[in-house]
Amino acid sequence: MDFLQITLSSFVSLIPVTLAQSLILGFVVAGIMIPFRMLSFPDLTSEGAFPLGGCVCGVALAAGFSPLAAIGMALVTGFIAGCSTAFIHLRFRIHTLLAGILVMTMLYSVNLRIMGRSNLSVFGSETIFDWVPFAQPGFPIAKIIAVGIISIAIFALLNFFFTTEKGTAVRAVGANPVMAEAQGINVWAATIGGIGLAGSFSALSGALMVQSQGFADVNMGLGILINGLAALMIGEAIVGKDKVWRQLLAPFAGAIVYYQLVSLCLAAGMPPPDLKLATGAFVLLMLALPSLRGGRQAAAAKESFRE
Amino acid sequence: MLQIRAARKVFYKGQPDEKVALNGLDLTLANGDFAVVIGSNGAGKSSMLNAISGALRLDSGSIVINGDDITARPVHKRAAHIARVFQDPMLGTAASMTVAENMLLAELRGRRRSLRHGLNAKRLADYRERLSILGLGLEDRLDTRVELLSGGQRQSLSLIMAVGGSPDLLLLDEHTAALDPRTADIVMNATVRAVEALKLTTLMVTHNMQHAVDFGNRVIMLDAGRIRLEIGGEDKANVTVADLIGHFATKTDRMMLAS
Repeated sequence: MDFLQITLSSFVSLIPVTLAQSLILGFVVAGIMIPFRMLSFPDLTSEGAFPLGGCVCGVALAAGFSPLAAIGMALVTGFIAGCSTAFIHLRFRIHTLLAGILVMTMLYSVNLRIMGRSNLSVFGSETIFDWVPFAQPGFPIAKIIAVGIISIAIFALLNFFFTTEKGTAVRAVGANPVMAEAQGINVWAATIGGIGLAGSFSALSGALMVQSQGFADVNMGLGILINGLAALMIGEAIVGKDKVWRQLLAPFAGAIVYYQLVSLCLAAGMPPPDLKLATGAFVLLMLALPSLRGGRQAAAAKESFRE
Repeated sequence: MLQIRAARKVFYKGQPDEKVALNGLDLTLANGDFAVVIGSNGAGKSSMLNAISGALRLDSGSIVINGDDITARPVHKRAAHIARVFQDPMLGTAASMTVAENMLLAELRGRRRSLRHGLNAKRLADYRERLSILGLGLEDRLDTRVELLSGGQRQSLSLIMAVGGSPDLLLLDEHTAALDPRTADIVMNATVRAVEALKLTTLMVTHNMQHAVDFGNRVIMLDAGRIRLEIGGEDKANVTVADLIGHFATKTDRMMLAS
């Protein structure tokens, strides 16, 4: 009884902090979802674009730029990182996964170069969370309001874009590149633009994280991809993915639920070092489920991706 | 109007397995021509179609549609002129998207896509009407993802998508070969009706000699990357399956003598 009570009370006390964190990480999950689901392009750039956004934002804040300008710079660099991955794949016909690994690895050095050291404190710099009225800065509620508003705005924008004529064309590139090209859609432009957009979402997430936690660190992206995938899968299980708006809502909903689950596990006494193993096992289970359900005969590959 | 001038394409150039796919191919189609292309495997039918659609770049020669030289253009920039139905029903449609979304993509083929909402009520009504011509019930399944349709339904949808907007040139790449006989008939009949109603300039590749006899106003037989035989006008109206197969036979004899 005691164990349950302690677990529950520490979990409940952490809900607001976790919620603020999960809303921030919702963007990186969106940055993982767009390549995977909208463009059938398994993209690993986010593992490097997330700390890139953080480092750029950290350096910009330390140099005295406004928090909004710092986020803008992070968006631009994240966009370039995503475009690079897509370009490497398209131009040199390198497998999408390898292109992502190349960019992500090179970004580690770039991030170190940008900051000049492995971590940078920006504690005391102005952040966008200071601008939330009626909320004490530094408390989770300010973060929840600020990031919640940005999340809703971005979800609405994405939902609008992907049902326009242009957005439908971008989705066609993911669904069937040969057909898309035959319908006059520029596959290169759609792919580079789409992966670039995803990169800037990952960078936005990193930038907001730095403003939230008060420091930037080159290692802040370690394992973010697998966490994001787990969150995406939970989100898709909850809200579905058969309609465009459901697919777009899944990363945000998934991030909120996933990080509360992680918080619950930690409150129940799971050692933090085991977290990545548990997350990896969860993602593996979700991916293996269709073939496990089909019994021993080889299940048809559920996902088809560009190579 | 389609003009192909001295089209040449060599695969594996300079290597022991060098293969001449197109060997100085010349072809002119007048507006409204419905040409059926036949020929044995490796004769250059697919290469010709791919060269026209842009999937294959020519080593030399030129391709002009309605006075517009498209030889150097990539696939997506030719789409304003050309619509294509592939042999594989999977290739011509976007499987994970709905019937209506596929129709939208086809409607915007080669046009500027705006940032306005795509599927408005006017368009949906138009798609419903155009799909009802097929008599397959697709008009009531606009929100169904195409992957849930049968191969025949997908191919019929591809056809409606291709003929919409009256393309300058319609390419049919053995588009009934993967279908069962009854569905193949439905798709073929719909093809002929659309081509005649819209007076489309059409190039249809087929291995079905009966189709070559029954449809179109010209038969073109390819061999070793160039046109070996052309039948048009009066002769086309009187040609029989036996005649066409006879031409294949002489070719085989000659090949045996040459080897």
